[in-house]
Amino acid sequence: MPTQENNDDRIALLQGTLDLLILKTLLLGPCHGQGVARSIQRQSEEVLFVDHGSLYLALQRLEDKNLIHAKWGVSENNRKARFYSLTAKGRAELLEKTSQWKRLTRAMGLILEPQREEG
Amino acid sequence: MPKKKRSAEDFAEEIRSHLELEAEELRSEGFSPEEASRRAHVEFGSVRAAQERFYLRDRIQALDSIVRDLRYALRSLAHSPGFAITAVLTLALGIGANTAVFSVMNAVLLRSLPVSDPDRLVYLRTTNVPKGTGTISSRETFSYPVYQALRDQHSALSDVIAYVPLSVNKVAVRYGSQPEEASGDMVSGAFFTGLGVKIPHGRSFTEQEEKEHAPVAVISYNYWTRRFSRNPGVLGTTLFVNGVGFTVVGISGEGFEGLEAGGSTDFWIPLQSRPELNAYGNAVEDGKIYITNPTWWCLRLIGRLAPGVSKQQAASALNPLFQRAAYIGLGTPAAGERPPTLQFEEARGFPGYSEEYGRPLRMLMAMVGFVLLIALTNVAMLLMARNSTRRREFSMRLALGAGRRDLLRQLLAESLVLVISGGLLAWTFAVLATRALASWAQIEASLAPDRTVLLFALVTLVVAALLFGLAPLRIALSAGPALSLKTSAATSNTEAGRSRAARIMVALQMTLCVVLLVGAGLLIRTLRNLENTPLGLRVEGLVVFGLNPHVTSVPQGKAFYVDLISRLRQLPGVESVTFMEERIGSWSSNNSDMTVDGRLPDVPNGSSRTVRANVVGPAFFTTLGVPVLSGRDFADSDTETSPHVGIINEQFAKRFFPNRNPLGHRIGTEDGRYQMTVVGVVKDHKYRSIDEEPIPMAWYEYAQIPIVGRMDVEMRVHGDPLAILPSARKVVQQLDPNLPLIKPMTQRAQYDLTISSQTLFARLAGCFGVLAVVLVATGLYGTLAYRVNRRTAEIGVRMALGAGRSQVVWMILRDNLLLTAVGVLAGVPLALVMGRALSSSLYGVQPVDALTFALAILGVIIVAFVASAAPASRAAGVDPLKALRTE
Repeated sequence: MPTQENNDDRIALLQGTLDLLILKTLLLGPCHGQGVARSIQRQSEEVLFVDHGSLYLALQRLEDKNLIHAKWGVSENNRKARFYSLTAKGRAELLEKTSQWKRLTRAMGLILEPQREEG
Repeated sequence: MPKKKRSAEDFAEEIRSHLELEAEELRSEGFSPEEASRRAHVEFGSVRAAQERFYLRDRIQALDSIVRDLRYALRSLAHSPGFAITAVLTLALGIGANTAVFSVMNAVLLRSLPVSDPDRLVYLRTTNVPKGTGTISSRETFSYPVYQALRDQHSALSDVIAYVPLSVNKVAVRYGSQPEEASGDMVSGAFFTGLGVKIPHGRSFTEQEEKEHAPVAVISYNYWTRRFSRNPGVLGTTLFVNGVGFTVVGISGEGFEGLEAGGSTDFWIPLQSRPELNAYGNAVEDGKIYITNPTWWCLRLIGRLAPGVSKQQAASALNPLFQRAAYIGLGTPAAGERPPTLQFEEARGFPGYSEEYGRPLRMLMAMVGFVLLIALTNVAMLLMARNSTRRREFSMRLALGAGRRDLLRQLLAESLVLVISGGLLAWTFAVLATRALASWAQIEASLAPDRTVLLFALVTLVVAALLFGLAPLRIALSAGPALSLKTSAATSNTEAGRSRAARIMVALQMTLCVVLLVGAGLLIRTLRNLENTPLGLRVEGLVVFGLNPHVTSVPQGKAFYVDLISRLRQLPGVESVTFMEERIGSWSSNNSDMTVDGRLPDVPNGSSRTVRANVVGPAFFTTLGVPVLSGRDFADSDTETSPHVGIINEQFAKRFFPNRNPLGHRIGTEDGRYQMTVVGVVKDHKYRSIDEEPIPMAWYEYAQIPIVGRMDVEMRVHGDPLAILPSARKVVQQLDPNLPLIKPMTQRAQYDLTISSQTLFARLAGCFGVLAVVLVATGLYGTLAYRVNRRTAEIGVRMALGAGRSQVVWMILRDNLLLTAVGVLAGVPLALVMGRALSSSLYGVQPVDALTFALAILGVIIVAFVASAAPASRAAGVDPLKALRTE
């Protein structure tokens, strides 16, 4: 298996986590795609790298599933942009997925660092 | 609520706006405008890739859902392999049998001649022929002078083309040193050019070659393939036909196998004038061959209508010319004689074939269509039964949020899987069955499935797919989501299992089964009758073969046969040997009027004077085993110089010598040239075919008639008749090493050939009948078994409440028996119609044959009982406690 060369500190997102991050970002309020990307990068202290092509497809997928709602509008600096906002279904999904994620990371932590739990 | 799909432009717009927003933000972070824009692009990655992924997303989703549906369908079918296998096999048999019969019908009836502009081609027909002429077919054949006259005009018909076979069956040919047989036609010079048949290798004939009777030949693509392995080197080599050399100058295009349907011509040569190449391989009579004998109407003619001329116009323009030419060499028409009239028949198909096979094939198509109907309803019923047991599954899925469209898609996917696998199997089956059919029917024409056949199969499949996709839907969709909540097996399945559609289908199947069984029964009884028809001769122990010796004069020919017969008689195991000009049981006969005591006999108004004649050797009737009623058989002592003698049959004696002793009276040919004394009367027997009615016949003694050429040798031997052939062949080769035995076979086999189409018809109908019974039985069994299975709980309740086992059995049987009764009642009138339509194909059995009808009805009832027995006994075996506990 070829080792992946990574001279970048940034980590590519795990499959399926992008959706969760988008939903979380939108919880703060409607936002356009570029804002979402920036926000994820910034909030993760530039560790997470968002592939923009994937981001827009993910937005589209979430929209298709009625988890988010999109509307063309005008940005704070008067640019035309497509704004996304959470739907009620999206909120529920976020709650569900977040708790799943927490359980997952806890479980992963238990396995990866068991000693600490012992002490 | 379906959302409007987002356009790719909208998506592109969003990306543009992203890039601008990003660049702006970068500028505000202190980058120069160029650097900001560059960085925004780099950060984004490939815009095009993103757009492509957006574009593909929809399609991948659709594909994904199809794959998912198909996989789900396969899985759910794999859960009930019995059902899946039954359904696929049923479909394959039904569609395959239909495709096979259709491809035969297509080849024989629908496909047009492989010539250019076939709509302008017409077969020439005549209402009758002048008195004193002999024909091959009284409506379809013409004399050489008629052909000449019509050929030389071009106003009404731009081309008139003659063709005539060199032999009734096959003719002796030699390529290299090996004598063999092939079928060949003599044709006009304009044969290929006039018909518009392509000659891809070599060339066709010219009109000059017809006039010169040139020794050139064109071979057919099939013959080229079969005999010469498509070796192009065959061009320019010599093919010997009856010992005469012909240079092969051309190979016809693929698909053209002559103008006679069902047969396939191996080679064509221009019209010849040599006595050894007489039309139909006939012996030369009185030194005359088909060209020089205007009383022998043996040429088949086909013409191409001149541009802008209709059939009627051409006929009225040509009739005066035709009627003049018809009497060339015959003198003036007798007073009151009706002159023949020329007519045209469309040449799009093969007319001779339509008559022989058209009706049977259409009937077969109808029967096999019924089989298909049974097969389709069968699968639909099985599907319905299956789906009705799945109603809870459906309503559960509806309740869980599956859309009706998802359900529909998935049901369609299931039928698609069934239909596609059934269709593939059907095609394989059809190709095999077509091959079997062709060899059964002795159709030599190419039956390879073409585009029409493929289209037919596909349409059938689509209909099947729709039927199966839609029929079960009602049941599936009628199951609302509420059903899963409220019900148990005991109540949810009863009404669906008894749905009206299912009941109609069962009754319909019974109806069709009755019709098919009656049809098959009538045809099989016809075949039995034909097979058991007394021939009037002892056919066992007889073997027959043809010879066409190279003789040029009458004395030479006579010497050959006298020599041959005495040598064959000496072979061990041979009881007697004779020969005949026309092979008996080969459909052909030589018909003419005959004089009795010097004049044409008076016959009652409207009845025929026609007499069938044959020229035969000594001990003819003794060899055949035909009883001589009075007088004697021909003998070796009847020679050219002894008094000329003839023998007649009972019919001849009855019609032309009523209440008189025919012995000693003189009979003769119509022109009065041959006169002979009746020395014997033989019992009527079958002459041309098994299903003929006897007509007056007369036999000439070979030694006393000046004909030479082809004869058929008949031998009566002890033991296996065919076992004598090697030693007979040795004897023949002692006389002429290059002489092949033409169509050697037992006389029984020769007679059986005359009922080959009836045999085929009956066997196929029988197969369809059996197929119908099997299909109906499996269908009935399948649905009933399902139903009993699902009603186990109900039965348990009934038994717990005191119902006896016989009551339970009756409850299960009652429904089926009732439906069977309804089906039979509907089937009987339909079967009567079927019988009426078949009546022309029946022999010795009435269309309304009580026995056949009774057996068919009995058969259907037995099928119903047998198919119901197992499920009913399972129902009776239900243990009420267990049944209730599982619920």
